[in-house]
Amino acid sequence: MLVRFWGTRGSLPVAPTATTIRRKLARALVSAGSLQFDNVAEAELFVEKELSFAGGATYGGATSCVEMEIANGSYFVCDMGSGLRSFGLDSLRRNAAGHSKTYNFFQSHLHWDHIMGFPFFAPAFDPSATIRIHSGHPDAEEALRRQQEEISFPVPFNWLRADIQFVQLTPGETYEVDGVAVETILQNHSHDSYGYRFTDVDGKTAIYSTDSEHKLENMAEEAAFIEFFRNADLVICDTMYSLADSVSMKEDWGHSSNLVAVDLCHAAEAKCLALFHHEPTYEDEDIQRMHEESIRYEELTRNGPALDVICSYDGLEVRI
Amino acid sequence: MEYSLAVQDDAVHVRVDGRVDEATWEAFGAALGEAVERAGKSGHPTVVIDLSELDYMSSRGLRVLTVAKRQADEASITIVLASPNEVMSEILAISRYDKLFTITGSTGARQ
Repeated sequence: MLVRFWGTRGSLPVAPTATTIRRKLARALVSAGSLQFDNVAEAELFVEKELSFAGGATYGGATSCVEMEIANGSYFVCDMGSGLRSFGLDSLRRNAAGHSKTYNFFQSHLHWDHIMGFPFFAPAFDPSATIRIHSGHPDAEEALRRQQEEISFPVPFNWLRADIQFVQLTPGETYEVDGVAVETILQNHSHDSYGYRFTDVDGKTAIYSTDSEHKLENMAEEAAFIEFFRNADLVICDTMYSLADSVSMKEDWGHSSNLVAVDLCHAAEAKCLALFHHEPTYEDEDIQRMHEESIRYEELTRNGPALDVICSYDGLEVRI
Repeated sequence: MEYSLAVQDDAVHVRVDGRVDEATWEAFGAALGEAVERAGKSGHPTVVIDLSELDYMSSRGLRVLTVAKRQADEASITIVLASPNEVMSEILAISRYDKLFTITGSTGARQ
């Protein structure tokens, strides 16, 4: 299974400013010192090997959209954030090369940042495409139609030509979707959200759990999430806030913290945690710091197998 | 996890040894609740939690601290985190709990 991140930001798409880019370039030039590069490839190698990720790259700014490339023919995509536009265009290229035009979506929930990419999803205009939108919510179709009403968007939902189907899933059930076992769990978030567990025919398991608040008063209920994450090869988790923020000024905002995610993964003996749904006000340096601290916290609290803690960014590919 | 609780002249002192994690957080929470209650009954305005002998505290333990702090705040009692060892100092910084709690270098407890 190859997991490809098309959008990793929460709440709102963001983009670096000219000032931010200039500052990165200036710092990179200072880091290079008196080094000379014969070509762009040499310079790119320097950037990759010698600069930090925040210094030489960016975590990106598109909102939640994660593809699971499973060797079964159809597309599997979690959420339709603004990253969906790029995925859609890339899928057209793959379709031209013979890929199946069946898209299986799995919605964590229907808030704007998780559906805003759908009006820009090019395959939705293809009458030969099949789009199955799986959701725990009974009102997924209403949410998508509403955002394309004329007051909000110039292209109405009815103009989309693909075969669009809405499939409601129930927590506690196991579904087979094009050869993949899919389970869902109810999460604590405004208007509810749902996490997903995907297991392919090779037994590889990926978890998608975003926009899920683990409240102080309900810590005993986290046992259900530990079992849901059990032995997963990859857990993609909402790690938007520091633990302190999540229990104080950001309490009841519907999100979680990096420390809770590490602890849940430790208890579940998951192999890898991908930090996800980055706070839109965070600069790349802030996200990198959060990543480094999460790695250190995992080391300090490890009481069993090591958990690999990675930080998702737009364009990241993880093979499990 | 082991804990001891002592009511002294200046405060109610809680000393915790071992790990506060998924297996022990409820016992830790009970200990904190007992400390806050005893501070209220004895008229002490402060509960001091000695972190010097903790191996580590997971997010469960940190969140239980927040629960205890809310109970303490309602009773006008202050919870102070004292003598964090190196590991606990890092965890408090990583979690940003050093912004939520008063942290001191010593417990001030009578030996």
